[in-house]
Amino acid sequence: MPIKPRSHWKERAREFGFGFHTMYGEPYWDESAYYQFSLKQVEQDLEDPTEEIHQMCLEVVRRVLADDALMRRFCIPERHWDFVRNSWENGDPSLYSRLDFAYTGQGPAKLYENNADTPTSLFETGFWQWLWLQDNVDSGALPRQADQFNSLQEKLVNRFRDLQFLTPGRALHFACCKGTDEDRGTVQYLQDCAREAGLDQHFVFIEDIGRDAAGQFTDLQDQVITWMFKLYPWEFMFREEFGAFLGGNNIRWLEPPWKSILSNKALLPMLWRLFPDHPNLLPAFFEDELDKAAAHETLVKKPIFSREGANISLVQGSSVKSEGMSQPEAQLLSDGPYGEEGYIYQAMYPLPKFGENYTLIGSWLIDDEAAGISLREDSGLITLDSSRYLPHVII
Amino acid sequence: MKTIKRSKAINLDNLRKQTGRNFVLRPLALGIVAALMGCSSKEEVKVVASVQDCVDQTELDQEQCEAAYQQALKEADRTGPKYDSRHLCETEFGNCRQSGSFWLPLMTGFMVGQMLDGGRDRRYYYNPVYRYTNPYSGHYDRLMTSDGSVIGRSGKVNYTVPSSATKPKPTVTKTVSRGGFGSVASAKSSWGGGRSGGWGG
Repeated sequence: MPIKPRSHWKERAREFGFGFHTMYGEPYWDESAYYQFSLKQVEQDLEDPTEEIHQMCLEVVRRVLADDALMRRFCIPERHWDFVRNSWENGDPSLYSRLDFAYTGQGPAKLYENNADTPTSLFETGFWQWLWLQDNVDSGALPRQADQFNSLQEKLVNRFRDLQFLTPGRALHFACCKGTDEDRGTVQYLQDCAREAGLDQHFVFIEDIGRDAAGQFTDLQDQVITWMFKLYPWEFMFREEFGAFLGGNNIRWLEPPWKSILSNKALLPMLWRLFPDHPNLLPAFFEDELDKAAAHETLVKKPIFSREGANISLVQGSSVKSEGMSQPEAQLLSDGPYGEEGYIYQAMYPLPKFGENYTLIGSWLIDDEAAGISLREDSGLITLDSSRYLPHVII
Repeated sequence: MKTIKRSKAINLDNLRKQTGRNFVLRPLALGIVAALMGCSSKEEVKVVASVQDCVDQTELDQEQCEAAYQQALKEADRTGPKYDSRHLCETEFGNCRQSGSFWLPLMTGFMVGQMLDGGRDRRYYYNPVYRYTNPYSGHYDRLMTSDGSVIGRSGKVNYTVPSSATKPKPTVTKTVSRGGFGSVASAKSSWGGGRSGGWGG
């Protein structure tokens, strides 16, 4: 639905430190239109499936951790198996996740993937689109009863309170990489929520993390880190120099190490194995299961590890019929730096097209509770980190 | 009643950013920060210089003050600013002592107050307090906690501090190397000429 942008929105963005509303010279935040849902669409088609799929994902974690062969398939380095398993055995709590869905507005939403370790666009969702609705209701541009599926901030603050109770006596260090406004903004927002919950919190860049002689991690003030939120993928940390100290030092992590099983595209074929024909799942296969995939006309080939739509290609199901063909001919859709750990194949299910745009829905969880949605649209079929973010309403 | 699917209220003040001040990081070294009293909750604490001072100024008795002092000393060892040389330490704090391979400032006094531990049970805390004496700094003669948070000019007993000042401070250690994380991101970002997006997804 088209709507007039708030005349003062760029001022509002400055006021709240939203600095990355324009990326690569293109608008990222787009309030010239919004998406409209019914309450029933939100509750039945998005909220309920989100919580159900999360439980299914936890079942995958259980199965994978119990099986060395699966741990290998998920490309978890063997020296970190204990670290990952212990975090699950100890019940290390999680903060948040985002499930990405293709949803046409009716029928089941289809799961594309789970961003369980380092989801972004959190500030835009939890706060910025909330404020957009508030401003537009106040100005009369939207009706008073207009609502939004977005209790993200409220749940985040409450979750931080719970986490402090579960992690007593520790200050929380937040971390992300240098040189990315988007990640720093996401982390700043999380810090704001943690502060509101009364947590003692600090910030350190990933690259600045140090270690002492005993292998404890430190910030730039040489303070020992005992509890850390890192907006940085586990699969990177496992393979880096300081990865050798993981598990040997007394640190609680957000997200916990067991999330490395979920932020992994190998999750998708595992979900399909455990819950075949689930209405919210797309058929998905490991490379050596491609003989089962021949019925699907087109498959999307995704690297086990990848972010923001990089290194995606299409393959024809018919080309995988011949036995022993493990690398079917692929048509490259997007380039990128990923793929060395192998690929999985997911049945093609194009994003729905609204007007000129393809739309992807991100459905957020705080711990195991569905907490809101975010919408990204792009003129192409693949949602990238530059795809536009649009607000939504429930009427 | 109709269910509301969005956050009921958001405190906008807590999210407002002052232009130009976004993401300002603490300076290196000690990282002194003026305590930001604006929107965080505040607490009244007493800063006492000795066990006797503690007995005179607070409701604690001799035995409790003795224990408080010992605990503050222990906290000072664990959380206090640590320097490689006596000179570096004395430049900032005047009087310093050696502990292992470090030099630490002498504790000027300790903070006594009650803390509401997540609203669950009340207990006392005893954070060490230092007097900053670098005459070339705007923080000269200020009292600060071991993480460099300034709590006020020295010489008083009662201080109003943000509640973060009353929390236990992180342990301070000697960092032997940095940069052990971030190499994969940096290798991947050199692909395609860098990126301004992040490592989230």
